[in-house]
Amino acid sequence: MAALIEEAGRFYSYYNLIYLGKAFLFTILLSFAGCGIGFVLGAGLAVMRHPRIVSFAPLRWFALLYVELFRRIPFLVLLMVVFFAFQLAGADVTMFTVAATTVALSASAFSAENVRAGLESIHPNQWDAAEAMNMGGLTALRRVVLPQSWRVIIPPSMTYSVGLVKATSIASQIGVLELTYAAKILNQKGFSAALCFGTILVLYFCLCYPLNLFATSLEKRLAPSRNR
Amino acid sequence: MSYTLQFGQVTPYLGYLAGGAWLALQLAAIAFVLGWAIGLGCASTLHYGPRWARWPIRAYVVFFLNTPLLVQIFFLYFALPDWGILLGSFQAVVLGMSLNAGAYLTEIQRAGFNSIRQAEVEAAETLGFTRVQSIRYVVLPHILKVLFPPLSNQYIILTMTTSIAAIFGVEELTGRTYNINAQTFRSLEIFSIAALYYVVLTLIASAALYAVGRYFFRIKRSPF
Repeated sequence: MAALIEEAGRFYSYYNLIYLGKAFLFTILLSFAGCGIGFVLGAGLAVMRHPRIVSFAPLRWFALLYVELFRRIPFLVLLMVVFFAFQLAGADVTMFTVAATTVALSASAFSAENVRAGLESIHPNQWDAAEAMNMGGLTALRRVVLPQSWRVIIPPSMTYSVGLVKATSIASQIGVLELTYAAKILNQKGFSAALCFGTILVLYFCLCYPLNLFATSLEKRLAPSRNR
Repeated sequence: MSYTLQFGQVTPYLGYLAGGAWLALQLAAIAFVLGWAIGLGCASTLHYGPRWARWPIRAYVVFFLNTPLLVQIFFLYFALPDWGILLGSFQAVVLGMSLNAGAYLTEIQRAGFNSIRQAEVEAAETLGFTRVQSIRYVVLPHILKVLFPPLSNQYIILTMTTSIAAIFGVEELTGRTYNINAQTFRSLEIFSIAALYYVVLTLIASAALYAVGRYFFRIKRSPF
């Protein structure tokens, strides 16, 4: 333990802190970019899967297949598939793009489920009423269903994005400079593993815990009223 | 750069990969059982235990819920030897996954304990049930019905998480995929096949758990 404290002085040097800070920013950037794109894609998929909006059945089947497929592939395997698929396409992209694409693909499938749950929380009578007012599927979605369902959609999506922040640690496997990769590099430079990985555990905690608290408070505040 | 997909070169390895899938299922089962035991212990202590025992459990749950599993296992695998605790890669992965699953399962089972209503237990008492009988006939059927869907969900998630074991050199489904990749260099082919294995594996698990839930607990919710 004493050796660890003695080493901590050298470990928390100026350049190491800069390095860790940069890695921390990349973890945040990766999660945000991935979650943002993924959520938009997922919302699109959920809308595509809804029989009240899309009457063309093969399109709905495609959305179902997409969601069920990508929801069931582990992040690490998906990362490898995306990595080699970019290679196959001959696209010269950075590792960050590969990782962000993976996060977005994974997030889109899970957000699609969250959004679908939100859309299904609205009573079918509301769709009928909107139809009676001569609204089309998309208009009804925008003016009637979405204003009521977003409070069911947001809390689980927040909780899920915390999970994605944690999943980005796997992106270290292809060499994206984020927290886990930075810790591995520092460890290989000779700093003790307890210090390297302990530090990033704390950093991940500082990122995820407030997000989780926020998600919980949203869940309490946005709880839908019982009467609809 | 031209690359043509050649699935023919990897087909001889499909059986070897299936063996990895079997190991992944075992890994998930071990981690689930251990995590479930940890979760049951922690959740019942939170609910019935002494006040001083609560905050260490809360700290454990909050810490493990908010940090990545990969880094937790890294810590167990690389940092614990400094204090003289040497774990093999399989042991480190199982320990990490169990502790991580334990935190999630504590949260889930705590919700289950909270769903027991005092009136229910009192009603059983009024009908002359003994304590064991009231647990067996009133509390348990209720709590199992509430807990079964999130527990089975957690099992599916655990099956997918086992892929992390490959990073530590455990030869389960993903680990064996790495091996085949190193031998054949048919990367995209073998990794997409591995992805399909995971899809099939979790689909089978979902269907089986759905059947169990429907038969034993009368849960009508569709898993898809």
